[in-house]
Amino acid sequence: MPDTAARDLFPGALEMMVLRLLKQEPMHGYALVQRIQQASRNLLQVEEGSLYPALQRLLKDGLVSAEWGVSSTNRRVRIYSLTRAGTKHLANEISSFARMFQGINLILALEDR
Amino acid sequence: MSLFDRLFRRRQVYDDLSDEVRSHLEERIDALMAQGMSRADAASAARRAFGNVTNVVEQGRDVWQWPTVESVAMDARYALRQLRRAPVLSATIVLTLAIGIAATTTVFSWARTVLLNPLPGANDAGRVMALETTTSSGSWTPTSWLDYRDFRRYLKSFDGLAAAYPMGVALGDGTRAERHPAELVSANFFDVMGVAPALGRTFPPGDYAGSQPTIVIGYNLWKTRFQGDSSIRGRVVQVNGFPFSIIGVAPPGFHGSMPGEEVDLWVPAGMLGQIVPTGSWWLDDRGTRTFRVFARLSDGVTFDAARAEVESFATRMAKANGDVSKGMGGRLMPVWQSHWGLQDALRAPIGVLLAACGLVMLIVCANGANLLLARATGRRRELTLRMALGAPRTRLLRQLLTEASVLALSGAALGLLCTFWLSRSLRFLLPSFSSRAVLAPHVDGQVLALAIALAAVVTILAGIAPAVLGSRENAAEAFAEGGRGSVGGTRTARMRAAFVVAEMALAVVALVGAGVFYDAFRQARALSPGFSAKQVAMGSVSITLAGYDSAHGDAFLRDVSERLARAPGVTAASYTDYVPLSLGSGSWEDLRVEGYTPEPSENMKLFRAAIGPDYFKTLGIPLIAGRDFTADDDSAHTAVMIVNEAFVRRFMHDHAALGVRVHGWGRWFTIVGVAHDSKNYRVTEPPTPFFFVPVRQVFRPENGYTFLVRTAGSVDEAVRSISQAVKSVDPSVPTFRTMPLADYIEGPLKSQETATQLLGILAVVASLLAAIGLYGVLAYMVAQRTKEIGVRIALGAQTADVLRMVGVQVAALLLVGLAVGLAVGAGAVRVLAATVGSLGTVHTTVFAFAAAVMTIVAVMASGIPARRSTRIDPVIALRGD
Repeated sequence: MPDTAARDLFPGALEMMVLRLLKQEPMHGYALVQRIQQASRNLLQVEEGSLYPALQRLLKDGLVSAEWGVSSTNRRVRIYSLTRAGTKHLANEISSFARMFQGINLILALEDR
Repeated sequence: MSLFDRLFRRRQVYDDLSDEVRSHLEERIDALMAQGMSRADAASAARRAFGNVTNVVEQGRDVWQWPTVESVAMDARYALRQLRRAPVLSATIVLTLAIGIAATTTVFSWARTVLLNPLPGANDAGRVMALETTTSSGSWTPTSWLDYRDFRRYLKSFDGLAAAYPMGVALGDGTRAERHPAELVSANFFDVMGVAPALGRTFPPGDYAGSQPTIVIGYNLWKTRFQGDSSIRGRVVQVNGFPFSIIGVAPPGFHGSMPGEEVDLWVPAGMLGQIVPTGSWWLDDRGTRTFRVFARLSDGVTFDAARAEVESFATRMAKANGDVSKGMGGRLMPVWQSHWGLQDALRAPIGVLLAACGLVMLIVCANGANLLLARATGRRRELTLRMALGAPRTRLLRQLLTEASVLALSGAALGLLCTFWLSRSLRFLLPSFSSRAVLAPHVDGQVLALAIALAAVVTILAGIAPAVLGSRENAAEAFAEGGRGSVGGTRTARMRAAFVVAEMALAVVALVGAGVFYDAFRQARALSPGFSAKQVAMGSVSITLAGYDSAHGDAFLRDVSERLARAPGVTAASYTDYVPLSLGSGSWEDLRVEGYTPEPSENMKLFRAAIGPDYFKTLGIPLIAGRDFTADDDSAHTAVMIVNEAFVRRFMHDHAALGVRVHGWGRWFTIVGVAHDSKNYRVTEPPTPFFFVPVRQVFRPENGYTFLVRTAGSVDEAVRSISQAVKSVDPSVPTFRTMPLADYIEGPLKSQETATQLLGILAVVASLLAAIGLYGVLAYMVAQRTKEIGVRIALGAQTADVLRMVGVQVAALLLVGLAVGLAVGAGAVRVLAATVGSLGTVHTTVFAFAAAVMTIVAVMASGIPARRSTRIDPVIALRGD
């Protein structure tokens, strides 16, 4: 995907995706960055640094929990997992996002007169 | 993460974040090196992909911070350090603020006690209104029982209307009796007030048929006289000698319907006939207006709608009862605006004091701004340096405002401390009969909130200008001036001059206000009441309390009076049912005067006093013509009357009055004497027609009677002799209000005197503040122009020349301040005269006085800076930095 098509994510989008990925399995920050790229088939490129403030916000709101562990490359890393509150929050976010997306689509799909 | 964790494990959180970011970068570098990059290339590529590490870590930390709390705390710590470095300035600001805030919150606590919360203990008291009857001349009068019953029956805007009549009663248990303040009330009184009993019940509905000899007693009475006995219900006590059973106890916070007074028991109005020997006739007489009426607004009814209904209904009712109510009406108002009670006397003084406090607060703000400006100027280098080092302007602004608010809050805290004991001084404004509840207004959340609000206002008013100016400093300018601030401060200097002018102008307004009140007080005091109160003692009795009927009561009064006349040193003794210059209204009678035809709507209700023989001699009121009453003027002889000169002027057009007949109380009285005019209600009143009748011809035992004794010896001894004489005739009759007459008639002037003194104190504070402001500006000016003055002195300028420099500055500031202050003061006096009334003649000397005081204050404030300017040593001054 060429850079010209890249656009900023809307506020909250990164958090929503992080929650969704953590729902699959707990993982650490670096792995999250990799997974966002893979899973979005490189359509989305996140500035790696911005992930960490987002994770801190989720941590503070109790939507994820963190624990120091060891990665597959045998490195000491902090592994994040989804809490119950996080699961619930994610469901809400997804449904509200879906509605918004649907609304935007309806307008974008208007026929010209 | 719990709050505890957040507060105490923050360091841990920050470390975790840094570790995590480092590990992320290393993982990326390893991955890139695995693709064949060199370590250095991999490291820089990893950082590029990651973004600004410091920013990320900082943002991550910010998540955990209560936004800016840490930086505000830092500002506050820094502010405290800064303020400690200028202790005199800080102390001055804090102290002046404390004075202003203490004065304001104190007066506010009074206002709240007396005006804002006139019915403490009543539920949802804001919906309880006072309903007053108005006379054809527009003044207020109490409401008759029959009018009250019609209001209650026909008015639709209210959930309920209650009536209350305050009276003293004797509460006895068979062996002894004590006088207690009581209220005669309609049975629904407690329902309308929304008061539930602490014990037992209140009166059942129905005023006449349902009336039982029952009373509700006050909480304090229950606690003191009945020791809080929980089995008090059903106890039988004697009220004015008639047995009543106690059915309930009012809750502790409720003191009855008389603002500022504490009622000890409530008697249903239907029982009037049992507690006064004359029976309950005034409940059936529409012309006998005695009750205060309270009305609780129904939900959803606006005050305006209810008032309109009251007014139109009262007018219709007065028309229907044209024989006694011609031209009368009704008015609805919040209780604090009603006329019967303490709030009526204190409304104006407290309002004026509040206004004066506002004035002082404004001066305090101007003074604070002035001093902070001086300080900001002294700190230009520091502020400029911080700005040059990259501090954003908003941060400096916040820093300066934080300093102002630290000062303001310290001042508020100190002021509140003073308020705690100052608020008790309310009793100096109040008559001695006020309730304990009123004497000690408490400082609570509302007062606290006011203090904090004042501190906030001060921060903004006093802090904004210095902060804005301070944060606007131009680095190049400040450093170029060699840090002396000798030129660039013109904007600041001009603003400071403006503040000083404002301070002086406001202080002049305060001085004018205090002067006008002092003058009015002096005038009121200098007015002769038309009688001589010196050497006169008084003492009151309520003979109904001892169960006297007309014949015995009359004999009792004469007996005591004769004993008093024989007491050593006594030159004359008498008695009356109305003591001149009493607070409150006396009794009037509807008169017809022989040979005088009143206008169709002329008010022929005239105030009167029923007196014993020797009344005029005792009070030293000269008789212009005719004779005094004698012991023979009793019901067996012709009814006689003495009138005052104003009476003669109005009804006889200065023709001879003696022998003219006047009709009242259903019969004809013959005028036998004319007395010199004397004041009856207020010393400020114009001569008003008034008349006297012998007690023995119109005797009513339910009236309170007061003995008056003129002595050649000690007044205090005469006061004691009254109690002794009463006791020796009948030990069961209690005496009250025993005191020198002079003390008693000073009563109405007392609150005026105290208010005047307080205004004087506030004016002095205002002048002091203005002096501080002026001193600050001048001292700064002299310091600023040291070099210039040094040059002048070196060039041969004399002391007088230097002084003239300072003098011109002072004169300019003073003249502008005086001009503005006197103009505003003149306007304020006009407003005061319109709202407060009774200011007497406003003399121009008051303005001259204010101007003189301000001038003296200004000269004194400029003394030290002026001296300093003449002592400047040119050698030192010119040596420079």
